[in-house]
Amino acid sequence: MKGAQHFRQRLVLSTLSNTALRIDDIRADSEAPGLCDFEASLLRLVEKISNGCGIEINETGTKLRYKPGILAGGRNLVHDCGTGRGIGYFLEPLIILGLFGKKPLSITLRGITNDSRDPCVDTFRTATLPMLKHFGVPIEGLELKVVARGAPPLGGGEVVLKVPIVPKSLTAATWVDEGMVKRIRGVSYSTRVSPHMANRMVDAARGVLNRLLPDVYIFTDHYTGSESGKSPGYGISLVAETTTGCILSSECVAMHSGASELQLPEDLGTQAAMSLLQEIRLGGVVDSTHQGLLFILCALCPEDVSKVRVGKLSSYGIKMLQHIKEFLGVQFSIKPDPATGTVLLTCVGSGFQNLYRKVS
Amino acid sequence: MADEEAAHKQHRASRAGASAAGSKLKKKKNDRGPSTKQSNPKAFTFRSAVRAKRQQAVSAERQQRKLHVPILDRATGEPPPFVIVVQGPPQVGKSLLVQCLVKHYTKHSLSNISGPITIIAGKHRRLQFIECANDLNAMIDAAKFADLVLLLIDGSYGFEMETFEFLNLLQVHGFPKVMGVLTHLDKFKDVKALRKTKKQLKSRFWTEIYDGAKLFYLSGLIHGKYSKREIHNLARFISVAKFRPLQWRTTHPYMIADRFEDVTAPEDVDANPKCDRNVTIYGYLRGTNLKKTMKVHIAGVGDCSMSAVTLLPDPCPLPSAAKKRGLREKEKLLYAPMADVGDMLYDKDAVYINISDHQLQFSKNCENAEKTQGKDGDVGETMVKSLQQSKYSIDEKLQQSFIQFFKSSAIQSASDSEADESDESGPEKDDAMATVSEDGRLRRRVMFPNEADEEGAAEGPEDVNNGDSSEDDITGEGNGDEERIVHGEGEGEEEGGEVEGEEGEEEQENEENEDVEMGNALQWKQGLMSRVGASKSNVNLMQVVYGHVEASSKDKDFQEDISDSDEELFKPKRQASKDTVAANAQNIDLEDCSRLTLEVDDWHNQEVIEAIRDRFVTGDWNKASQRQKGEVEEDGTVYGDFEDLETGEQHGAAENHEAAERRLKKLALRAAFDAKYDGSLDEENKEVEGPKEKDYFDKLKEDMELQKQRNAAELQDIDAATRIEMEGFSVGTYLRVEFRGMPYELVHHFDARHPILVGGISKSEESAGFMQVRLKKHRWHKKVLKNRDPLVVSAGWRRYQTLPVYSLEDRNGRHRMLKYTPEHMHCIASFWGPLAPPNTGIVTFQNLSNSQPLFRITGTGVVLEWDQSVQIVKKLKLVGYPYKIYKKTAFIRDMFTSELEVARFEGASVRTVSGIRGQIKKAVKAGSGKEGSVRCTFEDKILMSDIVFLRTWTKVDIPRFFSPVTTLLQSRDTVWKGMKTVAELRSEQNVSVPVNKNSLYRPTERQPRRFNPLQIPKALQAALPFKSKPKLSAKRKKPVLESARAVVLEPNERKVVSLVQQLTTIQNDKAKKRKLEQRKKKEAYTAQKAKEEEESKKRRREEIRERHRSQAVPGRPLNKKPRRNV
Repeated sequence: MKGAQHFRQRLVLSTLSNTALRIDDIRADSEAPGLCDFEASLLRLVEKISNGCGIEINETGTKLRYKPGILAGGRNLVHDCGTGRGIGYFLEPLIILGLFGKKPLSITLRGITNDSRDPCVDTFRTATLPMLKHFGVPIEGLELKVVARGAPPLGGGEVVLKVPIVPKSLTAATWVDEGMVKRIRGVSYSTRVSPHMANRMVDAARGVLNRLLPDVYIFTDHYTGSESGKSPGYGISLVAETTTGCILSSECVAMHSGASELQLPEDLGTQAAMSLLQEIRLGGVVDSTHQGLLFILCALCPEDVSKVRVGKLSSYGIKMLQHIKEFLGVQFSIKPDPATGTVLLTCVGSGFQNLYRKVS
Repeated sequence: MADEEAAHKQHRASRAGASAAGSKLKKKKNDRGPSTKQSNPKAFTFRSAVRAKRQQAVSAERQQRKLHVPILDRATGEPPPFVIVVQGPPQVGKSLLVQCLVKHYTKHSLSNISGPITIIAGKHRRLQFIECANDLNAMIDAAKFADLVLLLIDGSYGFEMETFEFLNLLQVHGFPKVMGVLTHLDKFKDVKALRKTKKQLKSRFWTEIYDGAKLFYLSGLIHGKYSKREIHNLARFISVAKFRPLQWRTTHPYMIADRFEDVTAPEDVDANPKCDRNVTIYGYLRGTNLKKTMKVHIAGVGDCSMSAVTLLPDPCPLPSAAKKRGLREKEKLLYAPMADVGDMLYDKDAVYINISDHQLQFSKNCENAEKTQGKDGDVGETMVKSLQQSKYSIDEKLQQSFIQFFKSSAIQSASDSEADESDESGPEKDDAMATVSEDGRLRRRVMFPNEADEEGAAEGPEDVNNGDSSEDDITGEGNGDEERIVHGEGEGEEEGGEVEGEEGEEEQENEENEDVEMGNALQWKQGLMSRVGASKSNVNLMQVVYGHVEASSKDKDFQEDISDSDEELFKPKRQASKDTVAANAQNIDLEDCSRLTLEVDDWHNQEVIEAIRDRFVTGDWNKASQRQKGEVEEDGTVYGDFEDLETGEQHGAAENHEAAERRLKKLALRAAFDAKYDGSLDEENKEVEGPKEKDYFDKLKEDMELQKQRNAAELQDIDAATRIEMEGFSVGTYLRVEFRGMPYELVHHFDARHPILVGGISKSEESAGFMQVRLKKHRWHKKVLKNRDPLVVSAGWRRYQTLPVYSLEDRNGRHRMLKYTPEHMHCIASFWGPLAPPNTGIVTFQNLSNSQPLFRITGTGVVLEWDQSVQIVKKLKLVGYPYKIYKKTAFIRDMFTSELEVARFEGASVRTVSGIRGQIKKAVKAGSGKEGSVRCTFEDKILMSDIVFLRTWTKVDIPRFFSPVTTLLQSRDTVWKGMKTVAELRSEQNVSVPVNKNSLYRPTERQPRRFNPLQIPKALQAALPFKSKPKLSAKRKKPVLESARAVVLEPNERKVVSLVQQLTTIQNDKAKKRKLEQRKKKEAYTAQKAKEEEESKKRRREEIRERHRSQAVPGRPLNKKPRRNV
């Protein structure tokens, strides 16, 4: 394989399918060649939760050889994610790997909690974790706690993730009914800025959403002192819950527009609300961000048919489908549903089981 | 009638004897019932609440014990033939039993039994008989694939070791159904002895399997066969047997090779006979679905990847589902390619009919007779004859033949007339090509399709080249009813075999429903339009994702047609294929980000908002539900990329979700109901107890059934090629698997009597790692197992030799190494090897040879865990000596060798031999003492003579070694040689066991300890009271008076004394003589005894030697059979 693209997918699928991985030409042509620090950090994290894995990187970092070990899990682990990418970058693979470990995983991650590139921890807590219960993951041990908020560029946030192990395997899901949006919830946070910012974002978002639904409630979450990280920042994360238990999410984080100033909170609120409406319009049981996770969960099911509906296939999702076929040998049957403009995906699971668990 | 009734004799009950007594007793019991209790027993069932409660508890307990975790059997469609393994010690009549059973089912006498024999036993049941060879390796494999075991036991001899070994193997690898068969019962002359033996054997058999296990008695031979009646009974039981799904097999695909071919290019073999071979293996797929990318393990060879898998038509298909009782004679098929019966051989692209040479004689000379016979002759016979009459070869005919493209155009050709000719004679096969193979045997190649028979329209031997699919499909579709194209079965890589078959069928249907298919060109296009509309977008999405997707050939052809014929009709709005190319050319270092930035519409616009109004609970619920059904007409607004062409009919496919769910539930319930009323006994019992409310178990089963139905419903409307891509080849299909680069020994040493087992392994089982196994030495194995002695392990499909390290888990979770396995306890064995998932059964052997008289299974166990590292520790004692002692501090040397080592153990507790406890403090500074000296403190002052020791644990390395047992790569009568045990090596090299002298126990020699006399200072002495003062008196020098004086006897006294002395002397002398005599006697006796003992020992040794010689020699005379009695 070549290039740094979709590094996490490859790493996760290689680990799960227990196939060795070799990536060449990682940013070979770029002025900063080789693996980035966040990728190295991810490799270190994978090494931390697995036993007997082998990682070989050449001098320039443009070649990687990875031999997966067994997933051990473990308690009270700590990992510093750095400031290259948000914690969401690490949470996405971790949540899948954690499910199939020898022991339940509980890990403290430090870094940037909210980032514009990766799903923020609030979205994870409110949208991603509930998604797993459709696939028979025991919901009790599944938890994500935000201890401290860390905004870019310096981070300083801290979250605690707890993932239970699946006892044997996931259960196949037929999850095609999108339902109707019954309520919209959200979190608007602010750290090291005036607490008023959060309220301004909420007002703006409500202004858009209330035209469609009265049941909109957005929490404000202000951090001060030691919990507030090292940089100022604010943002908003919205989730729409439907009558059938589907959860669609959208989020917006303040970025430095131009030279120094952060974006206006009103703009953020509106933008988040609009992208949420866009997600709702596209349809599907999950939003575009979670497509990859949805597909991989389907593919990891026992040899039963899973059927899911998504809006528009994202490029990340498409790449995930390709990687799933490559590593797990699972091919999806993809049918567009022209009436709703959605896509129906059907697959027979790979029969994946948690084989690392100890039996007594 | 009346006469008949009168003729019947009345039954006269016996009035005396045992039966009368028995019946009396019974009668009494019956009488007592109502008399002691009430006249209405139903009204007063319980009179004691305690007793009622107890009874209830007992019955509830019994019911719960019956429950097992249900295993979901995902297989749909026809199951593969059930494997019936016939196993038993040598010379017990296994082959004869198989012969008799095959004869019973198919009226076919087999001469030799080699390889699996597939037969059709009933309308819904196929059986595959496999005889298990008398070899431990074959037994291990057979235990892994047997669905039903016929366990043959020599009744005249009793149980033999093989039987119990095989039973143990079965138990470990999932216990399939077992039926016992007692043979050689005609050797009993005495009826009483026979009855007694039967009883004994049955009770032993029952303890081994379960009470009530079926045991058949084959009383003897009639004309060299078992009695027909008894075989009939056995067959009845086989045909109603239910097979339980086994955990390992429902999760792993496997195949038993019923055909094995070497397909290496002959010139390669000629050039180098030892070159790597390409082989194909044919067999039914069992267990679960097989994916093309899967790795497989060939038992006795190793892991290998399949280079090609092809679906073949079933060589032994079940009869059609017409309503009739029983099987017709014609349907009683037999398929045993390895046993050289059954004349048909199915290959990837052809079918062969074997005709043995002696059957070839009749063809020419009775030609005239046949003509007079007319149509009465056998159909096959006439066909063969007509073929023999044909003058031209296939190539010549091909040159002459024409292809007719359209129905209307009438082309006469030579081939047509010929076809008509053959039509009259009613051939079964469409075309046949006779070739004489190198060995002179006539092999006749039949071009497929075999479905075309009913039509009776045989065609000329045009063999259209199937390579270019577009052309031949056009012809296929354009065909009328006179001509048909002959397809090879599954000829191209790009076209799955059965897709082609389907098409063949479709062509037949053409005649009936012309309007649906292509009657004329216009209709053809119209029909196409709608179909393409539906399929195109689907294919496109699949293409976007998976690149060149293996769509069904139909779709592809349509697309080709589209591009060919009229492009203006089908103008795809979205160019799909460009995306894939573009995607590949994209930046390979794309940022890894799961978030998609959406282009956001203007949501302040009221119209835009209204578009999704109905997606909210505040919107119109009716419209929303309609949207779910897919009935809303939303052209352009929702998804601009779709064609307008599609209207309601395609969308109808997206069925109402809830209705579908309801339908599925109904199906599941029906299936569950069917399963329940399948005549099983315990279910009936349940029914007697009355309707129960649904408990957890029922719910679990219902959920499983629901999932199964859902799977079936989802997969049924997906075309076959995609389906294979999605779920793999389904269970029950007949497959041809090709392997490349196999070692030549596999072909060279191939023996059909040892079936080849090909088992699929999942991704995570491919690699090797450390396994922890809960192991117990087998009760019947005489010795305990030694740590790190090589052991052959059979786990999953695999057999391999490895070096286990035994351990026990302490209460604090520490795994402590053991030198030997415990005698009667489980222990944990950890070893390196190819991984088998947890809960897999394991059985171990030390030696696989067949010439050992002892029980060969050394232990059984179950896999607990995998890991890449194992923590097993053993005790370590570090010893040191004090070289300097202060009050409670001492400096110890020789315990460690460096300061670094000391640093590791700072704070560790130490102890002296005398029991004084202490602690390690710090290393002595370099230079001041010996390197590695350490300062310790103790609870008391220690002595210089004390030895200080530190007790700790050290990690034990597990050897990373395993070697697969490759018995298929050597001739079957050689014993597989693996790593030798230490004991074997020592005896071979004549090396004695090394003894560390210091470890031996010696008699303790203690120097008597001398203490210095007690010195009491003078001043103290003076101060002491007299009692405590040392009494120091000087020794007397002169003797006392009494001892100094002489004694003088009286003369009388002297006489007495001398007399007494004389008498005593005489007596002593006598006693001495007697003693000497006795000793002499005893010596003679012991000498005699020793001699006798020596002789008897010699005799016994001879006997043992004789016995062993008769049992162990492999090339023994046939009439003498070795017995390994239990």
